[in-house]
Amino acid sequence: MRVPVQIVECDTKRLVEAELFDEVTVAHFLETQNEWRPVVLAAAKRLAQSSASRQLAPRHFHWDWSSKEGELRVLAFSFFGITCNEKLQGLMKLDLTGAAARLPSQKGKPVVYVDYLETAPWNIKALMQALGSGPQYAVVGTRLIEAAVRKSIEEGFKGRVALHSLPGSERFYLEVCGMTKVVRDHAKQSLLWCEFTPEQAEKFLVGDAA
Amino acid sequence: MNPKRTMTLNLTDKEMRVLEALSTQKDLSKSAILRQALRLYQLVDVRLAEGGKLFFEDRKKDKAELMVL
Repeated sequence: MRVPVQIVECDTKRLVEAELFDEVTVAHFLETQNEWRPVVLAAAKRLAQSSASRQLAPRHFHWDWSSKEGELRVLAFSFFGITCNEKLQGLMKLDLTGAAARLPSQKGKPVVYVDYLETAPWNIKALMQALGSGPQYAVVGTRLIEAAVRKSIEEGFKGRVALHSLPGSERFYLEVCGMTKVVRDHAKQSLLWCEFTPEQAEKFLVGDAA
Repeated sequence: MNPKRTMTLNLTDKEMRVLEALSTQKDLSKSAILRQALRLYQLVDVRLAEGGKLFFEDRKKDKAELMVL
């Protein structure tokens, strides 16, 4: 599957054409290691040396997508990527079997669980500011979450999506996407478990989130 | 959306009753339940082939290894 999507070029504030795809390969994982990780590490070092809030420091600097190579052939997982300007701008791994809804009104029903979602470091404002520049593209994460909701609908899960949010992303999931804050999960580094109900997912897709 | 292929599946009454109960309980179509079952079966098979083990832990925290053929 390859479909056109639009993301925002930060310099010009204009919408630009990008491509969302689910045919993720090892080459994309290697691209994250070779192109993304050095930038994330450089920004993390700068932030550690500065007086910046610890909240700004990336918590995902150690992520290694290439360790997920074996999961590409497993039906329980789906991978999505976004390319623009011939570069990978975001990558997401979904787990279709490993989690169930926790909201009382949805409890036990299947969800698409967003296991990993990462945007290229040059699209993360805090990291780019640490390196003395600004982000290149915006709404890459939003387009990936939209893909997760569409996958949930396609699989009959009615738009239910859940994830554990890193501390620096909680505002994005709760305020921008309109997910519900369910519980701080002490079994998972006290990360916040957030969920879309079918109704919230529909609102999000039509651009009417919280 | 990825294209799908159609197949006919024969189930006993008992199997169909279980499928219908799961369909109601999980708020999923019967096709979606069976696709979930296939995903789980493959996932377990892959993990076991990689040397993993599958355990169930009961309320008393006793663990029982599950054998999957």
